[in-house]
Amino acid sequence: MDTAIHLPEKIEGIKKRKSRRSKDRKERKRVKIFSGTGGKVKIDKKMKKLFRKRAREYNSDDDDDEANPEVGEANTRPLEEFSVGNSSEEEGIDGSDPDAVEEKGDSEDEGDRTQPGITKFTEGCRAFRVAFMKITKTNVSDNSLGPVLSAQKRLIAKKLAEEEAEWKSKGDAKKEKHLVGEKGHVKPANFLDSREKFLISVATKGVVKLFNAVNKAQNAQKGLNPSRFKDAKALGKRQKEAFFSELRKPSQAVDPPAKGDDGPAWAPLRDSYMLTSSKLKDWDKMPETTVGNDMDGIPLDSSSDSSSDDD
Amino acid sequence: MARFHNKKKAFVKPVVKKQSVDHVTGDKIPKSFVFSRGKLPSSLRHLEMDLRKLMLPYTALKLKEKKRNNLKDFLNVAGPMGVTHFLILSKTETAPYLRVARTPQGPTLTFKIHEYSLAVDVAQSQLRPRCPPELFKSSPLIVLSGFGTGDQHLKLTTIMFQNIFPSIDINTVKLSSCQRIVLLNYNKETKLIDFRHYSIRLQPVGVSRRIRKFVQNHQTPDLRNLQDVSDFITKAGYGSESEADDEAATVNLSSDIGRVNKASTKSAVKLQEIGPRMTLQLIKVEEGLCTGGVIFNEYGNEGGLIKQKDQAMEEED
Repeated sequence: MDTAIHLPEKIEGIKKRKSRRSKDRKERKRVKIFSGTGGKVKIDKKMKKLFRKRAREYNSDDDDDEANPEVGEANTRPLEEFSVGNSSEEEGIDGSDPDAVEEKGDSEDEGDRTQPGITKFTEGCRAFRVAFMKITKTNVSDNSLGPVLSAQKRLIAKKLAEEEAEWKSKGDAKKEKHLVGEKGHVKPANFLDSREKFLISVATKGVVKLFNAVNKAQNAQKGLNPSRFKDAKALGKRQKEAFFSELRKPSQAVDPPAKGDDGPAWAPLRDSYMLTSSKLKDWDKMPETTVGNDMDGIPLDSSSDSSSDDD
Repeated sequence: MARFHNKKKAFVKPVVKKQSVDHVTGDKIPKSFVFSRGKLPSSLRHLEMDLRKLMLPYTALKLKEKKRNNLKDFLNVAGPMGVTHFLILSKTETAPYLRVARTPQGPTLTFKIHEYSLAVDVAQSQLRPRCPPELFKSSPLIVLSGFGTGDQHLKLTTIMFQNIFPSIDINTVKLSSCQRIVLLNYNKETKLIDFRHYSIRLQPVGVSRRIRKFVQNHQTPDLRNLQDVSDFITKAGYGSESEADDEAATVNLSSDIGRVNKASTKSAVKLQEIGPRMTLQLIKVEEGLCTGGVIFNEYGNEGGLIKQKDQAMEEED
């Protein structure tokens, strides 16, 4: 009993179905499961059922029996008639109603097999139950948490509280860990407080010192240690650049550094230009700041130049 | 040797272009590795990244370290690559620690980081944060202040930090390449060292704000309300409050930097903080690379050790 069932053979299949109708649902389950495994055949079967169903509906209610000649024959559908009969008397009867509905469910499933296994009442189909309860106008209580217990609410509250406590403890542990990891990390303030200003001024002093030294050294470079082989190339380059810049800007006369650093006539060249009034008068004698570069090797006066000239 | 190569794959390949010897001064250019020992929390990992950026360009920016790498592995790679200094971050329950060591067997300074702020924190706290990428193309200057000439360990600290960054020759240095500065300020009372990292900016002095902005930004100004262009140029805008302070901070430049700062005109030096900010305390100085005899210990535990050494020397005598 496999995939060999085709349309012309439907009668045999139907017969088999008929014989199973009265059997257990489990066996019907089996049929359903089986029908699920066959690929194309399943669809074919489904399509068959669908077509039959449509035909049935088209042919109106009275013709149900006639529309299912294959499904139901005179002696083979006592249940169906019974259920049909029952359905008309549903409202009044309580006891047999579940059975009737079950049967009805069966028959419905039997007759309408477009969706095997989805709306099985005994498997806990809630929608079906709701529909039935509506018909019988009883209360439908929604208990997603399980069967109704007398102390249900208290139980629920307890469980929720437990869960919350658990999450909270985990959260606390995480927070603590995070705090320990962040130890020492501070976010700076938006404004510059006095300490920061002081530090910036210290750094600025250092930079100014350096730039002035560079300025001096690079301006005083002409005529400077031509004997040093290492610097010769750089020196020549710089001389060329200076020469060309001088050519381009004849108006901006660069004061000849050959005058020496001891006492330039022009005020801006003196060391103490602009610094007499401020606190930085003797800034190169201040013990605090040292610029950690080669500056230490090059004193700010020209003693090294003279010594190297002597070489 | 195969194992050595496996581990080497994790490190940055040596870049052929980089010079190992400074052309001008002839000294070896110091290079550094910044890495961490042990698992660090996320903010310390950011700090490690900030320190790497600070040490650019002579450091391995994308240094990959695995859990199984120990100090010996780093030492093995440091030799061929010419790396001279290690900056090691670690963390205990009390505080993060920073160790500065000179390879291969140089002294190790251990600092306890009391407080630190990341570069992103600093940028968030400023109105106009400034961090153009070309800042990191040349190494920073370093300024050490407040260390004095007294104590041995302080001297060692100054020497160590001076040697971490390549030295510059003032005869040939280009001022446009001095764009960053690292400041270490020692406070005698609290024995804490403030570590700051600034960017240097030069602004021409004596030029009104509007003209300067106009030249820098290349944006056409709004002349709607003015009768004449001369109004735009000569309008007395409010002077910046910091103008007065800049008296001390002006320099005469020897060369042109950018479009606005011309040679032999006055320019003001303006510093803006970038990069991490740390408060360090020198805890320990060891002779070897994280090993060896302890030269200095903040908590005086090695007092006994020095006495033992002295006794041994006396006995030898």
